[in-house]
Amino acid sequence: MQTTINYPKLRFGKKLIDVFPYWIGFLLLGVVFGLVGAFVVLRDGLQVTGLSNRVPWGLWISVDLSSISLGGSAFAFGVIVYLLKIKRFEIVGKLAVLLGFLGYSTAGMVLLFDLGQPLRFWHPIVFWQVHSLLWEITMCVVLYLTVLMAELIPIIVEHPFFDGHPLHEKFPILKKVVEFAKWLSHWLHKAGPVLAIVGLTLSLLHQASLGATYSVLYGRGVWFNQSAPTQFVFSAMSGGTALLFFMSVVVFRIMRPGLVKDDVLYDVARIAGGITLLLTYLRLWDWAVTNYYSFDRNITLQTEALNAVAPYSMAFWLGQALLPAIAGSLLLAAKSVKNFRYLMTASVIPIFAAILTRWNYNFAGLIASSTYDPYTPIIRINSYAPTWVEFAVATLVISYWLLAFSFAARYLPFKGKHEDHH
Amino acid sequence: MSEIKNEQPEPENAATSRRDFLKLAGGLAVAAGVAQVAMSNMTAKASSGGEEGKGPQWGMLIDINLCIGCQYCTFACEAVNNLADDMRYCVVTNETTQSGQEFFLSRPCMHCQEAPCVHVCPVKATYHREDGIIAMDYDRCIGCRYCQVACPYDARVFNWKEPIERSPQSPNFGLQEVENRPRGVVEKCTFCTHRIDPGLERGLVPGVDPQATPACVVACPTVARIFGDMNNPESPISIALSEAKTTMRLREELSTEPRVYYIPPTTDNRFQGS
Repeated sequence: MQTTINYPKLRFGKKLIDVFPYWIGFLLLGVVFGLVGAFVVLRDGLQVTGLSNRVPWGLWISVDLSSISLGGSAFAFGVIVYLLKIKRFEIVGKLAVLLGFLGYSTAGMVLLFDLGQPLRFWHPIVFWQVHSLLWEITMCVVLYLTVLMAELIPIIVEHPFFDGHPLHEKFPILKKVVEFAKWLSHWLHKAGPVLAIVGLTLSLLHQASLGATYSVLYGRGVWFNQSAPTQFVFSAMSGGTALLFFMSVVVFRIMRPGLVKDDVLYDVARIAGGITLLLTYLRLWDWAVTNYYSFDRNITLQTEALNAVAPYSMAFWLGQALLPAIAGSLLLAAKSVKNFRYLMTASVIPIFAAILTRWNYNFAGLIASSTYDPYTPIIRINSYAPTWVEFAVATLVISYWLLAFSFAARYLPFKGKHEDHH
Repeated sequence: MSEIKNEQPEPENAATSRRDFLKLAGGLAVAAGVAQVAMSNMTAKASSGGEEGKGPQWGMLIDINLCIGCQYCTFACEAVNNLADDMRYCVVTNETTQSGQEFFLSRPCMHCQEAPCVHVCPVKATYHREDGIIAMDYDRCIGCRYCQVACPYDARVFNWKEPIERSPQSPNFGLQEVENRPRGVVEKCTFCTHRIDPGLERGLVPGVDPQATPACVVACPTVARIFGDMNNPESPISIALSEAKTTMRLREELSTEPRVYYIPPTTDNRFQGS
């Protein structure tokens, strides 16, 4: 079954122009700029970054954390679609898998540049250190990326190209590959529930561990924030689902009208809203507890420093408490609001808040560190400013994300034979 | 100065080939085993600072009252490990007590028994040796810098650049004794294991014989640093620890259990050390 796809067009005077080629060209420019930066960092090492012994993690780790969090809808919808078998979310679930895959592959890519020894990226898979949060995260991300790939293959195989194409007759090898892909996707589709459970486990593990990564940094900014793991899980679900709603409206309402009912989209918005409100509630308690228990001298010093210099308290009240509360309520009331423009605007806030949390943890967490001297420890404020190389590599991976999503949104059918069969 | 220089051990050939290294390593393994058996007799009366079990447990005591802030420890460390000035393993800083009294705080790696860096390393590139030293496998390190972020003592440095030709402190404070580390790995103080291990093999006593003692300890002109086996009650560090009225460790509230002890600054008789 072929779905008709509307391509977004811009009106210039009387002409309607398909912006897609220009958009792709623009992204390719970003890729080229990024590749220059990538070349420089691989040739000269991390000395070309603004990182230092005082602030060893910077922009790239923040991009990495953010992109992983925005892939957070995949595990939630994997469970909804494959385990709970709620049929009406099946098509939206496919988009969730795509967003998950893009988020995780982007993270993997940016991490490669962040390693001092990029060619040793495989070491954690071979040399196990089971006490290390980073080891656990690496293993989870590698395994989960595999799961996402397994979930993505059946979606790609739905493309009409795989149902007989003139090229198949020309190149018999291509036909063999296509047949194998179809056979594989058949089995992967059957393994859906198993993949969903594995995916859920892996996701919960590493999303939480990413928060815990900062809780073991005793000398650093936000180590006392003991609810970080929980917050990371819920903010990934909130931001990821909000992104899924936003992209669902673009892909299913603007480009493929009629494929997904509006009610389903409202439900996605309500899930995003519900999780966002829950997260805001958790954050308020976390804030209260952190401040209540800040009788410890180091924690008091650190909290004061973070409030003073880092965008910690303002970011908290605006970006993590007030705005998400409003946006979450609006999304939760999607069925009464029934205005996709308002809902899409509202869904930007949880996405923004999820990113903000990651950036806050990383920057605020590293920039303020306490000194080790025994009698008069102070909170030292370190400085860090990303260089153009760091911005270039960040542009590279973000361009990759947008490029892959743009092509998928335009060419993936998102509806295939599986629905007809089952 | 000349006295100190005389005590420097002969620098070993920095360009030892891999085969030689393997031979040496094999010999060392045997020697370490023998040394452990030999030392195990002495552990019966283990002092409070040591760990139960066989073999030596290396530790350091720094008497803050004796430290004059000359930074010879830093410079000797730089020379021996071939470090640039911005890559120091050991740093000396000016600090004050709560009453405002100034003192110098000299800080090597603490070689914590519960080292955060060991716990966070995703590939076991940083590990705990049986003798209590936190060592690194530079061939395994991936350069993720999590250990650097996790160390509450800022004791770790990352190789942002290619290794330098010759340390600015060399040859004044000694010659290079260890191989250069590649760009892109984290590195740290080793308590000069390259002196301890061959020293034990040659029957020397680390902490007593300068050839088997960390460079910073040997270079200290006021003997503010004392090194030795904390499992051996006869070792200089055990004696000094038992004689010291009070000792402290940095950031004890974090339960990292450092192997570096300090004698805190006393207000009146400032230069009457142990």
